[in-house]
Order: sequence, then structure tokens, then C-alpha cells
Amino acid sequence: MEQTTILQMHEVNKTFDKVKALDNVEFELKSNEILGLLGGNGAGKTTLMNVLYGLYKMDSGSIILNGKPITIPSPKDAIAHGIGMVHQHFLQINNYTVLDNIILGTSVSRPWTADRKKEKAAIEELCKRFGLEIDLDAYIETLPLGVRQKVEILKALYRGVNILILDEPTTNLIPQEVDALFETLKIMVKEGLSIVFITHKLREVLHICDRISVLREGKNVVSLTRKDASDEMLVRAMVGEGMDLQKSVIFSESSKKIITTKRETVLQLENVSLVNSDKINVLSDISFEIGAGEILGIAGVAGNGQRDLAEVVMGIQTATSGTIKFMNEDITQSSTKENISRGFVYIPEDRLADGFLHKASVAYNLILGYHNLPPYSNKGIVNWKNVNAASREMIKKFTIKTTGPDDAGGNLSGGNIQRVMIARAFSQSSKLMVAHNPTRGLDIPSMDFVYKNIFEHAETGMATLLLSEDLDELLLISNRIAVMYRGKIVGILPREKFDKYAIGRMMSGYDQESK
Amino acid sequence: MTGIETFLVEFLKLTFLSMVPFVLAGQGTMLGGRTGVFNVAQEGIMLTGASVGFLVGYTSGSVFVGSIAAMLVGGLFGLILAYFTTTLKMDQFVVGLALFFVGTGLSTLLPKLVLGITLTPPLIPTLKNIPVPLLSEIPVLGPILFNQNILVYISVLLSILLWYLLFKTNLGLRLRSVGENPKAADSLGISVNRYRYLTTIIGGMLIGLAGAYLPMVYTGTFTELMTKGRGWIVIALTFFGGWSPLIILLGSIFFAGIEVLSYRMQVGGSVIPFQFLNMLPYIGTIIIMIFTFGKSRVPAFLGQNYDRERRTL
Repeated sequence: MEQTTILQMHEVNKTFDKVKALDNVEFELKSNEILGLLGGNGAGKTTLMNVLYGLYKMDSGSIILNGKPITIPSPKDAIAHGIGMVHQHFLQINNYTVLDNIILGTSVSRPWTADRKKEKAAIEELCKRFGLEIDLDAYIETLPLGVRQKVEILKALYRGVNILILDEPTTNLIPQEVDALFETLKIMVKEGLSIVFITHKLREVLHICDRISVLREGKNVVSLTRKDASDEMLVRAMVGEGMDLQKSVIFSESSKKIITTKRETVLQLENVSLVNSDKINVLSDISFEIGAGEILGIAGVAGNGQRDLAEVVMGIQTATSGTIKFMNEDITQSSTKENISRGFVYIPEDRLADGFLHKASVAYNLILGYHNLPPYSNKGIVNWKNVNAASREMIKKFTIKTTGPDDAGGNLSGGNIQRVMIARAFSQSSKLMVAHNPTRGLDIPSMDFVYKNIFEHAETGMATLLLSEDLDELLLISNRIAVMYRGKIVGILPREKFDKYAIGRMMSGYDQESK
Repeated sequence: MTGIETFLVEFLKLTFLSMVPFVLAGQGTMLGGRTGVFNVAQEGIMLTGASVGFLVGYTSGSVFVGSIAAMLVGGLFGLILAYFTTTLKMDQFVVGLALFFVGTGLSTLLPKLVLGITLTPPLIPTLKNIPVPLLSEIPVLGPILFNQNILVYISVLLSILLWYLLFKTNLGLRLRSVGENPKAADSLGISVNRYRYLTTIIGGMLIGLAGAYLPMVYTGTFTELMTKGRGWIVIALTFFGGWSPLIILLGSIFFAGIEVLSYRMQVGGSVIPFQFLNMLPYIGTIIIMIFTFGKSRVPAFLGQNYDRERRTL
């Protein structure tokens, strides 16, 4: 099929405060294609598409649709031009039904009554055509993420878009759902749509996209068809010249330091349960152990009790029943402070709410939790000389972009706040690390840096409980993976039995319900 | 009719009469809240509405013109609130409190400017009861429900109309979405600012009218701080009513009932000190809040401003 260019963006520039997010970016989309927009965190992929969707105003640049220059000052105009977008964080009204979410903002046949039969029929027709099975009368808040994504896609289709932008659409999906999504995308292209697929996952791009465009640090790096693309050149394009691929954890098999020999048990959970204030069993009967130097990965769709598990281990919440042992000592009732002096470190999931003080200085943030321990303090008196020296060292080692230890925490960007979390965690010679989505918001070299540090500490005997929603991350560095579903551990797999689809099935609770 | 029956009929009739300021101000607050604008200036807006409604009613000789003026000035307060919060993105609570103080001050200043300082305040005619033909003849129910002033009927019809608009029409679907998730609404081409301005202005108008009801029905004149905290009670009422028009109507009847009860007991020469009886509406409020706060569903973005380009970390 002859493919014509339907959309072009020229010399797009966008600055947030002082950060240049897009620097003279060029973009082209052809008819009937799936274009992969590839890049690490902070590469500007989402910003570029938010400009196209009218959510962000560009500082300069032009958009040409079907040969005519257009402006898109708001999402309303984008929709009018046939451009739709499925955001990474779904933009849905939780207490509305699927039907209401889809028709929201459109004109309906009988606006002054509650009768939506005609609209419902039209949407059911779309569901059939694109293979999207969904109960239109269900309330959004009751639906799993995979279904909610279908709602987002239907929203765009119902508005009759020609161009659909999908921002990191596979993030919260289990592998089976990813496959189903790809099937739908193929049908859509056949039906005449063009799709922009934003992702940082190389494999997906090579699997589904016809053409690939790579961005890095807000600049175009390369655009090419899939035939011309290879793994290695895309990796290089994404991470830049500064990273040594041979020594990286992510791209090189040999540098993975998975410790397989069984060593003494560091952490042991026996039938741990937790009932929350709403009398709901958020954790039930959790049992596992982690040996010295071992990394136990916890897989699961977000919200299946991972956060509660991390908090129970750290002593932030106290288990309702069961025992937690650290080096054979019962620590079930221990406070977080006691656990920290035992050598626990914690990288919380919600760094803004649980891990970071915006109004405090960077130095404060870097020693938070360890401020009462030497060398930072002596008998309750903080030694600022040591604190500042240590802070400067961490800022350098972890390449935190800040003016210095006295800079206000609030001046840091999200990625740099995550670096502070990481620096703090790795500044201690720890015995147990509880890390919840430790690489969220980091670019590829930084992710690699985190993995390397985990391995380094593991070699000294640190046990790691790694809770992550990124299955690829777990598969990459865990010794074993335990899968959580509705507060239960539904299975633990050793490294030699890792299978993406088997884990996906367990994550979706399929094995549970068929029993 | 026996004494107790007469008392009950009289009590219920007064309750329905007294619910009007709660209903109007409650629905006004609810309307803004449904798009995410949390108005806390009710007390000030009601006082200004009472003051302006009375003054314009007095000078023009028409209670109707007075009501319109009270609504306009209430709408102006709504416009200011909307401008400072949605356009300038200032904290809603701080702006609301500032407007409360402005409204309270304005309400006592205006009569002095217009009428000068008088010993005997001028009076306006109070609203007449309009008996509904046939229906007002029904024993017991007739005099309670169908022999009231026009605003009693209007406030009931308004509550039903708002419920229908919010929950049964496409307009309502859009309007509520702005308060639930403005970013989602915006991404679907719904103008967040337009809905916020619209509901806050109309809400302000209703609150202004609620204030004007006091001189028009109770006293015939304006007295300082005559709202007696009703504006604050309305905030509790909207939470109690789950930001839903029909439950707000029910809640208004409840609060009006307590209010009438406390007056009745004072007039009836009760042994309980009147200071204590004056506390009744507030005690009722606290009890209601204990049982419903946290349980009633609040629009998810209530009180939060929306900025399209603000990046979430």
C-alpha cells in the first residue's frame, strides 16, 4: 500500500521553567502505520505528543495535517482534527460508568433525557469491530487496568479519530493483555487509522511498529523503518554515547551477578496477615524467606497489597498475625526506627508522600532516617560537617542535579528526587533493602546504575525485597519472583522457571479462580 | 384540632418556611462544588444579599426587584471567587474567607450609606403566602405544604430540577466530570474554566437570594448579622447532603426544624436558658458532621484548582 504522510511537526520547541523539554524536534506520521516513538524517561516523547494533543502549548514550531498548517490550542481542537490520545495515567471519571466515560464531552441524540440507547448501540458496534469486549454499564472504579485501557481506546474510536496516540500503553498490562492490545492495534491500522506508540521498551517497538523514531533529551536522534532497525543501534540511540553497553546490567548478559548459592536466611515471613482499618484483609498468609545476597522480586498488578507488604516488613504497619524474623530474631512488633538501626533500608513507592521533604534541604533529605546514627550524629547532636561532606559525595556519585547540599528539596525534578532516594538507600551498609519501584522515573543509564548498586550490595550479603510493577525489571535482576494477587502470594518461581506468560497468568488471578 | 395537633401543623409549616435559605444557599454551594469550586463565603454573601435585597426592595418599592438585585450582587461575589480561583489560581479557601469578610462588612455599610443612621428602621412588605388552589384545602397537609410563599415552592422545584439536570442530562454529565477529574474533562474538550465560572456565578446568585429571603420573610428589615451563622451551617449541610440536590433538600428541612424548635422553645417560656437553645442548630450540625463526615461522597477535586500545564512529578 502506498503510504502518504498525513502529519508533520516542524522545529517544535518547548521549555518548562528552565528545562528545555523539546529542542527543534521534527516528527512525521504516515497513513496506515504504527509509529514507535522510543526514548528513555525524560526524552520528551510524552511532551511532544501532549503538544500535538493540545495539552501543552509549544514555544515555537508548526504542525501540518494533510498538507495544511493547523494550530491545536486545546484537546478539543485535537479531537476536531481527528487526533486522539490514550494517556499513561488514564483520564477517566472513576464513579462514572464505562458508557458515560465514553460519551462524555460528545453531543448525544437526546441530551435532555437519560436515554442513551442510540449511543450505546454505536459503541457496542465499535466493540465488536475492534475486538474489545467490555461491559458498558460497569463502573470504572471496579475495573482492572487492562479493561480501563480498552475504555480509553474506545473513547478515541468513538470520536472517530484517524490518529491515535498511545502513551506507554503496556505499562500496567500483563503479557497476555499486551498481546490482545497489539491485536487491536493491528485491526485499527487495517481500518485506516495511524498510530503513535510511545514507549521505552525496545522489544515492543521491534515487535509491533512499522517505523521507529528515537528521541533523547528532547532531541531527534534517528528515524527509521523496522527493516533497517537493529537492537543494538536503537539501544545506542536511546542511551547515547556515554554508557558502556558491555558493562551494563540491562544490555549485557555477562555483567549480571546473580548469586545462586544458598546462604543463610536474612528475612523470614511466616503466615503474615494484615487487616486494615476498613476490616479488609490486605495481606493474607504471606510466607517467604530471603537469603543473604538474594534478590526476591514481588510481581503483581499495582494495588494487590505490595505497598502493605513493604510497610509491614519495614515496621511502618504492624502485622495483624504471623511472625517476621530478621536473622532469626522476631521483629514482628519492631518499630521502623529499630529496624533502620538493624540495617534496613527502604525506597518507598510514593517518593513524594513517604520519602521526601520538599521544604527541607537536599542534605536533610539525604540523611533522613539515618540522621540519629553515626557518622551523622553523636549522642543526639548532628555533626553538620560530616553531613555536608557525605551529601556532597552522594550528589557527585549519584549525579543529582542540584546546586548543593543546601538547595531546597522542592527544586529537584522527579527523576532527581528518585536519585536522592537511591543515594540515601545505598549510602548505608545495609543488611536488607526493601525497594518499591526503585527505578520509576529514571532514564536508562540511571536504571542501570541502580541495578549495579543492588548487585554490589548483594555481594556484601544484603538481602533485597524488590517490589516492582515492571515485569521486565524483575525478570532481569531477581533470583526468585513471588507473584502477589489480592494480598496473597500465589506462587514463587526460581530463576530457571521464569516465564513471562506464566507470571502474567498468576498476576491476573487466573490460576486462583480456576482452582 | 387538639392543641398538640395545632402545634405540630404550625411547627411543620414554619419548618418549610424556614428551610428556604438553607435550600437556596445549599444548592448554590453544591453547584459550585460539583465543578470543584468550594465556596466558603456563604455567610458574607448571604448578609450582602439580605442587605442589598432589603435596600433595593425598599427604594424601588418592589420585593421582586430587591430579590433580583440580591441575586446580581451574589452572582458578582461568585464571579470574583471564580476569577481569583480559576483564572488566577489562588487558594479557594483563602479567597472564600476574604469574600466572607468583605460581604459582612459591606452588609452593614450599605444601609448606613443609603438610609443614613435611623432609630426606627424602614420596613418592606414581607412575601405573601400563595395558597395553591384545591391542594391547600387538604386537611393538615394543605396548610403545611400548599399555603406558603412563592420561594418555598421555588426552592423545592429548583432542587428537583437541579437533580434532574445533574444526573439525567448530558449537561449534568459534563458538569460533574469537571469536579471529579478536570484533567479528564479537559482532555475531552470540556472547558473546565467555563463550567467553573458558570456554576460559581449561579451558585453565588442562589446564595444571595437566600440572604434576601431573611428580610423579605422574617423581619421586613435588615439587621446586622441577621444570618446568624446560617451560611456556615450550609457548608455542613452540603457535606451532609453528599453534594446531591435532593438530600440537601431533606437536610435543609432537618436544619430548619431544629431552628424552629429552638425559637419555639424560647417563645414558649422554656426553663432551658435561651443561650442554650440558640446553640441547638450548631449542636445539630456537629452531630450530623460526626455521623456523616468522611462517609458522604465529595466531588474528587473539590477545592482544588486546575492548571493544564502543571506537570505532576
